Amino acid sequence: MNIAVCVKQIPDPAVPGELDPESHTLHRVGKLILDESDSFGVEMALQLADKAGGGDVTLISMAPNNEVSGLRTALAMGAAKAVLVSDPALAGSDALSTAKVLAQAITRAGDVDLVLTATESTDGYTGTVPNQIAQLLGWPSLTFAKHVEVEDGKLTIRRQTEAGYDVVESSLPAVVSVTAGVVEPRYPSFKGIMAAKNKPVDQCTVADLGLSSDDVGWSGARQEITNVAAAPAREAGEKVEDDGSAHERIVAFLEALKVI
Amino acid sequence: MDFAETDEHVMLRGAVRAIAASYGHRYYADQTRRGEKAEALWAAIAEPGFLGVHLPEAYGGGGGGVTELAIVCEEVAAQGCPLLLILVSAAICAEVVARFGTPDQRQRWLPGLAAGEKMVFAITEPDAGSNTHRLATNARLDGDVYRLHGTKTFISGVDEAAAVLVVARTGLDDAGRAQLSLLVVDTDAPGLEKTPIPIEIASPEKQYLLHFDDVEVPADRLIGDEGEGLRQVFFGLNPERIMGACISAGIGRYALAKASAYATDRVVWDVPIGAHQGVAHPLAMCKVELELARLMIAKAAWLHDHDGDPSAAGEAANMAKYAAGEAGLHCLDTAIQTHGGNGLASEYGLADLWGLARLLRIAPVSREMILNFVAQQSLGLPRSY
Repeated sequence: MNIAVCVKQIPDPAVPGELDPESHTLHRVGKLILDESDSFGVEMALQLADKAGGGDVTLISMAPNNEVSGLRTALAMGAAKAVLVSDPALAGSDALSTAKVLAQAITRAGDVDLVLTATESTDGYTGTVPNQIAQLLGWPSLTFAKHVEVEDGKLTIRRQTEAGYDVVESSLPAVVSVTAGVVEPRYPSFKGIMAAKNKPVDQCTVADLGLSSDDVGWSGARQEITNVAAAPAREAGEKVEDDGSAHERIVAFLEALKVI
Repeated sequence: MDFAETDEHVMLRGAVRAIAASYGHRYYADQTRRGEKAEALWAAIAEPGFLGVHLPEAYGGGGGGVTELAIVCEEVAAQGCPLLLILVSAAICAEVVARFGTPDQRQRWLPGLAAGEKMVFAITEPDAGSNTHRLATNARLDGDVYRLHGTKTFISGVDEAAAVLVVARTGLDDAGRAQLSLLVVDTDAPGLEKTPIPIEIASPEKQYLLHFDDVEVPADRLIGDEGEGLRQVFFGLNPERIMGACISAGIGRYALAKASAYATDRVVWDVPIGAHQGVAHPLAMCKVELELARLMIAKAAWLHDHDGDPSAAGEAANMAKYAAGEAGLHCLDTAIQTHGGNGLASEYGLADLWGLARLLRIAPVSREMILNFVAQQSLGLPRSY
């Protein structure tokens, strides 16, 4: 079974991010790393391919400046190869343009039975790209999977809900977004790290994918960030004087948070 | 000349850091307090092959060198988990077996060592510390076994290892000096008595006094050539010194990170204490000393791996060991000072590392013996002993 995993290479979240004052978009210069939320999809893909008795895990990524650092991390975990779309024309792409590019890159990767993605990226948070990719490919979209199984060509996931989970079945090919915790990502082994350097990364441009520069980037974007405001400062908590009924207030508070 | 770490080294560092950080100093300190080992952390580091990065691929290793092992060793220590047995098992024993063992011996021990099995090392004796010519433990060939007699002291981790590499005298040269040989001895061999030595170091590894009373060692356990033990051990001592330096440097990084976080957070008057130069400058000085030591570690490892002039690697390894030993302890002491009274509180996880950081100015080679070496070998000064 051949599996494509969409992985995003993002600025290190441990370093405070910066926004471009003109475009209000995230500064994505310098070294990028593998979005941790994508490491779950990579691990899931490796386990599914292994269980299916073979098949390649191919990484699909779009990043500025031919960035491969994050891809190398996922290749070191065990992915076989990568398709990287990098093109100055992609700067300013919105979620739909990104999905178009990724869908074309998946097609370019060839014979793919299953696409895995995270539910959303750690630096963008739109959470719309997985569904858009599925729509563009014309494949079923299964979301928020906390468990994925493929048996006799049939895909079954457990879709996380507030109360528990739904069981969702589908034929293949399909697109599945997986939650953090679907599986525990492995640490790359030393052999994996050394092998990653020599694994093929198919670097391509917008034109290579048969797309027009007008459909992507600033010119193709259907959204515009008009303003950015700082998040409101955290408000002070509520103080409860215990007159003998404080426990009821605490229980009500926890119930409102749905933790009990 | 290129001082940038390769992508592979950055990734290796990141992976080791992630594993060690998931345990952290709290785990290390708790296991120590309970008298237990750091087995789970050791296994987690071994599983992706990180304890065999320097061993040949044909024997299950990673095909890298001491440069890669140094990254592993330092990074684990930098998360507050200095693992002394990386120095003993992976650095000395595995390097010596890989370099001087017969193909059969390599096949017998290296795959296990690459997977994280432990072999410990016994050279020091109560009456022979830095002066290896006075080693009295002797092995006499009797048919197809060596019969081993003698006493070894300060042997780390004997209770965790299946085998111990013992340096013993097997004869005398024409000048009447001991000819040394290396034997791999099972730690459960009849006649081998192991006595723990109470010691003021808070680490999961324990120290032992070993007494060999007519211990039979099959002759095929001799590593390399009989009588060539000292020369062979010296090959393993460079990686040992480099790993000693890495543990010191890792403790230094751990301590400075804790001190910087504390000094940024802690406000006594109007500003964080780290804004006061009386607090900031000592930490900055430590950082300079630490980074200089780390540069020398990288150089020593590079020289060892590039198999050029062994004396150049020895000189660099000694200098790295000296500089890192001093810097590591200085960083830790300054971090404790930065924390005030909290520096001695168990909760802050600093003072318990003092014994080990202090030991690393003495072992695996004392700072005085390094200064003797540099004085004689690097400066050409006359020797006093």
